[in-house]
Amino acid sequence: MTLEETTMKLNVNGSEHEIDVETEMPLLWALRDELDIRGPKFGCGIAQCGACTVFIDGEPVRSCSVTVGEVSGAVTTIEGLAADGRLHPVQQAWIDEQVAQCGYCQAGQVMTAIALLEAIPDPTDADIDNAMSGNLCRCGTYPRIRAAIKRAASATAGA
Amino acid sequence: MIDLLKALTGFAGCAVAALLSATAAGAQDPGLDAWRGIYAVFSHPRCANCHVEDDRPRWSGAHYGRTRVHDMNVQRGADGLGNPGMRCTTCHQEQNAAQRHGPPGAPAWHLAPAEMVWWQKSSKEICEQVKDPARNGNRTLDEIALHVRDDDLVSWGWQPGTGREPAPGSAEETYQLLRQWSAAGAPCPAD
Repeated sequence: MTLEETTMKLNVNGSEHEIDVETEMPLLWALRDELDIRGPKFGCGIAQCGACTVFIDGEPVRSCSVTVGEVSGAVTTIEGLAADGRLHPVQQAWIDEQVAQCGYCQAGQVMTAIALLEAIPDPTDADIDNAMSGNLCRCGTYPRIRAAIKRAASATAGA
Repeated sequence: MIDLLKALTGFAGCAVAALLSATAAGAQDPGLDAWRGIYAVFSHPRCANCHVEDDRPRWSGAHYGRTRVHDMNVQRGADGLGNPGMRCTTCHQEQNAAQRHGPPGAPAWHLAPAEMVWWQKSSKEICEQVKDPARNGNRTLDEIALHVRDDDLVSWGWQPGTGREPAPGSAEETYQLLRQWSAAGAPCPAD
């Protein structure tokens, strides 16, 4: 079967893009290879690790398993979080807690943490486990991820 | 010898009569025949895996090996759509992933309400649940038949993607079975 390329429009991090790709191309491919947005990472390619997590209209999705043709809203990657020269509070908490080791999974971890905090501003340990269990970290930074989420929650509450 | 032949003939005659009687009874109860076809669908892993009583969808079926709860700590969540940060639709998109072992997909992927439990329930239990408005989404039997025929997520059960065994038959066939079962008075099996 030959897949034909189509001109697709994508809104990524507030900017409109037109790319000539097959509609069945995974969003992750389009972001990384067509738009040179390299924050989302390829980990497993089958939505099992979370390294490719981005937002579509504010909802977290595994971009390796969403086709470009399925994207019906605005895409936000970790590159689109900072505003007015300031990091997102979750990004800042990640730095303050020195969460990352190798760092490969951390963009996905941050995106999921933000989605959690949007829904539950002051999460319990169980809330964090429930939200973050689909984001794997082979370095085992989970205790620091939990600490960073709680730090971000406190920072946001005090803002 | 004649007595023995009479006895044997009589025994055989009784056995045949009993068999014919049972066959006739089956033929006279098309409702239960239809229900058996419906139960084969509803109890199939493609359907029952997400009709669970607790908060954990299951992974089971011919290709899954041992039965287990959905990996990655996936849970029902307050609305049946998963937990904040890890919604069903975080991984399950509107169509099956093209990659082998990738997540299956259909519009609005979610767990069935906990009261609509089919996982490891008997034919009788599922039958009674399906007929109970308090446990079937307050649907009439006609509405249930239409739901089975027309709902995109239900239809996924017959088009589950590469490597997954589909539910028996088709959405249309199951719709027809539901209509037949309903027309016959929607009988439930004794056990």
